[in-house]
Formats: sequence, C-alpha cells, structure tokens
Amino acid sequence: MLEIKDISYCAGNRKILNNVSFTFEKDKTYAILGNNGVGKSTLARIIMGTEGYRNIHTGKIFFEGKDISELKVDQRARSGITMIWQEPARFEGISVRDYLTLGGKENLSDESILKTLSSVGLNHFYLFRKVDKTLSGGERKRIELASVMIIKPKVVILDEPDSGIDMMSNSMILNVIDFLRSNGSTVISITHREEIAMLSDEALLLCAGEIYAYGSPQSVSKSYKDMCDSCSHINIPLSQ
Amino acid sequence: MRIDPNYSKEFEYIARAYEQAGGKVDSLLTKDMVSIIISGDKVLGRNSIEGVTIDYKTEGTSLKLWMRIADNVKILKPVHMCVGFLEKYGEQNLEYFFDIGCNSEVSFLSHCSFPNAQKIKHSMVSHILARSGSKVGYEDIHFHNEEGWVDLNTDYLADVGTGSSYSTRFRLTKTRVGSMKVLMNVDLAQDAKAFLETKVWAKKDDKVDINEIVNLNGKGSSGIAKTYVIAQDESQAKVVNEAYGNAPYSKGHIECTEIVKGNGVEVSTIPILKVKNELAELTHEASVGRINALQLETLMAKGLTEEEATELIIRGFLT
Repeated sequence: MLEIKDISYCAGNRKILNNVSFTFEKDKTYAILGNNGVGKSTLARIIMGTEGYRNIHTGKIFFEGKDISELKVDQRARSGITMIWQEPARFEGISVRDYLTLGGKENLSDESILKTLSSVGLNHFYLFRKVDKTLSGGERKRIELASVMIIKPKVVILDEPDSGIDMMSNSMILNVIDFLRSNGSTVISITHREEIAMLSDEALLLCAGEIYAYGSPQSVSKSYKDMCDSCSHINIPLSQ
Repeated sequence: MRIDPNYSKEFEYIARAYEQAGGKVDSLLTKDMVSIIISGDKVLGRNSIEGVTIDYKTEGTSLKLWMRIADNVKILKPVHMCVGFLEKYGEQNLEYFFDIGCNSEVSFLSHCSFPNAQKIKHSMVSHILARSGSKVGYEDIHFHNEEGWVDLNTDYLADVGTGSSYSTRFRLTKTRVGSMKVLMNVDLAQDAKAFLETKVWAKKDDKVDINEIVNLNGKGSSGIAKTYVIAQDESQAKVVNEAYGNAPYSKGHIECTEIVKGNGVEVSTIPILKVKNELAELTHEASVGRINALQLETLMAKGLTEEEATELIIRGFLT
C-alpha cells in the first residue's frame, strides 16, 4: 500500500537514513522503535513530504501504486496520508471545533465532535477553546488524536503519540489506535513505549538510519531492549 | 438617543460607515446604553445612564470629550462609540478624558471609520484614569479605505489605580492602513493589571508604527503587551514594546509576532525591558518572519492547500 524504496537522507555531512526500503500494508499497524536520533521522525517527515525533506532525499515513495515522491503535503493528505507531529503546532484564533472540522468535515455535528473529544478524554468545554498556547502539550496532543479519528485517513503516522500525555492515559492512546485500525487506517506509530509497540501488528527497529530488525512487536521490542538499552555504538551501524 | 435634527443626514452616513466597520446601529440608539456618535468635530448624538456624565466642546478642528463614571457604578453593556469622518480630505482631532470611579466597571467599544477618505489625518488621544478597584476595557476597531490614504495618530494613555484592571485592544485588519502611529502607555499602581494588544494587517505601501509601554510602578502590578502584525506587499512595520519593572514583585511580559508575506516588506521589532527593582520580573517573546512551516504543514496534512492554510492562519491570528 505504502512503499518506501531506497530512501536515503543526509543532514549536512551526517547520513540520517541509509537506503531504507519497506512496504506498509493496508489495515495493519506498525511501530517504529529506536533510540533518539536514529532517523524515525525523519522517515515520518519524508513519508509526509514536509518542507526540508521532500525532494531532498533519494529514493522513491509509492502509495497505492502511484509515485508520490514529488507530491506536496496537502496532495499526499488528499490521497489519504496524514500525520501527527511530536509537538503539534498551536494556532491563534482557531477554535477546537473549527480545527476538528477542517478538510471537508464542516458539516459534522457538535454531538459527533463531542463524542470524539470524549474518547480522547476531553469534555464539552474544549469545543470552543482555542487551539493556541492556552492548551497544555497533552491537551493539544489529544486534540490532534481526535482530529485523525475524524479524518479517518488511509495511512496515519503518529510521531510519539504518547509524548506530553500522562502515563495514566495509555489506554486512551491504545483505544485511538484501535479505533483507527478498525476504521481501515494503516497506523504507523513512532514510539518508545512498549505498550504501544505491543499493540502493533508489526514493528521495525531503526538504528543508524537503517532497519536493524523487523518482525513481531515482541521480538523487535526484545531486540530493542537487548541491543539499544546498553548501546555502545549509538548511531553507528554494527557492521562498521 | 436623540439625534440633532440638523445632523440627521450625516447620522445616516455615519451609521452606514459604522455598520461597515462592524458596529450595530441598534446598539447606539438603545436607551439603556451609553453611546456617543461623533462625526468630524461634531457630536451628533449621545446617550447616558445614571452615574455617567458626558461633556464635550469643540475648539477649532478639535473635539474634546469628557466622560466621568461615578464610584461603584457597574455598566453592564459596553459603551458604544461611533466615530467617523466622512470627508475626502481634511483633519479630525479628538481628545478624550475618561475618568472611571473607584470600584466601577466599564468596557468601551469604539468603531472608527473613514469611508470616503482620499487623504485625511485622524488624531486621537485618549486619557484614561481608572481609579482604584475599577475594571476598564477599551476596544478600538478601525475601518479605513482601500483606495484613499489615512494618516492615523492615536494614543491611549492610561493611569491605572490600586487593584484595578485595564485592557486596551486596537484592531485594523479589514482595510488597508495608510500610515499609522499607535502609542499605548499604561502606568500601573499597586496590584494593578493591564493588557495591551494591537492587531494590524498592513498592505501595499502602508506604514505601521506601534509602541506599547507598560510601566509597572506599584508593588505586585502586572502587565502584558502584545502586538500582531501581518505585513505584505511593500508595507513597513516597526514595533517597539517596552516594559519597566519599577516596583517589587511586579511582572511584565511583552510579545510581538510579525508575519511577513512577500519580498518587498520591511519589518522590525525592538523589545525594551528595564528593571529598576531587583524583585521585578520581565520577559519578552518575539518572532518575525514568514508563516511558521509547522503550522502550515499541520493544516496541509489535513488536506488544506498552502493558500487555504495561509488564509486560515492569518484569519485566526487577526481575530
């Protein structure tokens, strides 16, 4: 469904991704694991086509058989790919209600929006709050999760969906991922949290810009713990 | 409100301009509300309620207006001020003196419009005395002219008493600016609070000059001064925001955000923080540049085009 082929990306002289190839299949959930700086978020941005990443990497991205490597973020979004950033942007003067109905969801009823907000742990008071600096990091992240639940994309990349959200709300994040999967979304979660990885169908371990391990979340998580917890070669491939 | 019969035609024009600027004419005419209608150097009509006195006098091309609100008066509905200048050329000079009594509450909503301006000059100085324990809000919305040129010079000078709170907001976002100089200066006594905010959208060869000053003179006083400017085409914007921590436990924050669209603009922001008391605390935040890429891409990731996302961000920014 979503194929990344021979993706390499350099920041200055530093190689962040090195010939990464992988195919994400329809209706599956994936976890991408790896220490800080191994290229997880870079890979997410390349898939989404954000500025500074699109057209700068080598390799190709195919979505539903079409080469989308040259498409801009909005074009990729309209074809069904979306993303939640690790630290989502704030917007002056835009209400939560208006924000959640962007992208053609303007006719959504308040009742339906409230139901979605409730599933991410936010009550009706949030409907007319602004998506600005008055929200905490966790509240902002919850609104972003509500947004993708409304969009129901074909592919969603969640860059550290749990960051900024308290540990007590783990089950909420798992429920959101479950909701997305049951609505036919392919979910790619970048995470350090084992519970989120375990919910995935498959997991990838990135190390030094390469896929170091791939398989069941249990086996990849074990590799991550065994290899990365006591890493003596941070971001230098073992082969070197 | 009774409109002077000599000015009924002028009132019609002013009312039309007022509505164009976002005001509601019905509000001006309601009996239980305080309202004032000014055209050029004339007061076309005014309405008052118990506890509020309004006086005025014309001197040459200048209009001076005094409003006194007695102690312990809470005005529940905003005081509506409809200000306009219908001429194509000329000058309008206004000077207001607002005296808000102890423990009184009032909010002013002023709409200022120049629908026919070709080349006019508008000067306004507003002196606001917020006596102790009072709450005062002042919102000034300007509506200029896309074709003509307005030379605007407006000062909001506030003296805020012990335990009082004061806010002033200036908006010029619906039409082009012309040339504007806005000065907001607030002096805060003990435990007084202030919030100053200016939002402007500069286009073509508009010139914007904004200076917001917070003087934290009283112990425990606090103030925030914020400026938002969108500058496009060949417009120029200069923002200087200042905070002076002159008293212990005073807190001040100044903030300026300028979004630039186009290569011909020239914008600057200068924050000035000066502490004269070691227990004062001042902070500032500023950003000047194009629309934040993360904001744009977050919206684009929901399917909005770059143009749609830009428009939404600007609209929200100026709300």
